[in-house]
Amino acid sequence: MDPFATLGLVPRFDLDQGELESRYRELQKALHPDKHTGAPASQRRMTLNKAVEVNEAYRTLRDDIKRAQALLALHGNAQASGEREVADPELLMEVMELREALGEAKVRRDLTEVKALAARVDALRAGVRSGLVAAFAALPASAAAAQLSPLAAQVSRLKYYQRFLDEVSAIEDEAEAS
Amino acid sequence: MAYSDKVIEHYEHPLNVGTLDKEDPTVGTGLVGAPACGDVMRLQIKVNPETNVVEDAKFKTFGCGSAIASSSLVTEWVKGKTIDEAMALKNSQIVEELNLPPVKIHCSVLAEDAIKSAIADFRKKQEERKAQASGVAGSTAAQPSVQPQK
Repeated sequence: MDPFATLGLVPRFDLDQGELESRYRELQKALHPDKHTGAPASQRRMTLNKAVEVNEAYRTLRDDIKRAQALLALHGNAQASGEREVADPELLMEVMELREALGEAKVRRDLTEVKALAARVDALRAGVRSGLVAAFAALPASAAAAQLSPLAAQVSRLKYYQRFLDEVSAIEDEAEAS
Repeated sequence: MAYSDKVIEHYEHPLNVGTLDKEDPTVGTGLVGAPACGDVMRLQIKVNPETNVVEDAKFKTFGCGSAIASSSLVTEWVKGKTIDEAMALKNSQIVEELNLPPVKIHCSVLAEDAIKSAIADFRKKQEERKAQASGVAGSTAAQPSVQPQK
């Protein structure tokens, strides 16, 4: 399912979040069950299915990683999430070191260090993200697999950074709760 | 989704968490990642180069309970085994032992990849040492030996 088509948007990575937001609201309003109470059951079911589809498409496009994956899939790089890809050893080393540093800061309850690490990873993420904006913009409509794999690798990189930042949020939540 | 008792046991009391010196020529290091979830796993083995028996194994995994349990189990299993025996380890054995549900099978795959890549790293180091010992490059003779000091 092409989430861009579902929402009637032009496929692109650098999506205007305001446009996405308003298109989503428009469609949700039009598909709301209250507006279709008089319709036959079969049509109500179709409307409901469409509303679910719109929700899913919105969740996909709102998320940088999922939106990038959807774009790669549109370009024919339908890499299943469970598929094994060979990760860049340097990236793994970098992520391992960052995760170890975060783990140690957590044990020491050093929230200043946690925040510093988060800022570092956030900057790395922003760098990869802007690289992806440029790379997707420069991607020809009929891109070959060889042109897609470096983009897929950058999306993987984003995932490792995202996972790190999720861990930071968990640590911060825990610290607030205690 | 509920974790099996064995996963919880390994997760709460993981065995062999730690680090071995990755510069040690008898230590093999495997560093693997799961791009789908952003988890990373490092598994290290210390091998007796005479007998090829794994004398120690350590891991560090940043990931879900199943990933931690899988790596904990693998380090426990390979200790005392030869590297050839360890190489024969299959992720399905981990799945069976830990009762992993289908959505967590990739964690066992990760652990299998990690041990295999640790063994490959050890073998590569040993080959490099042999090549050096047979005196390929005379200019390296002045370099200090890199015997682990223990």
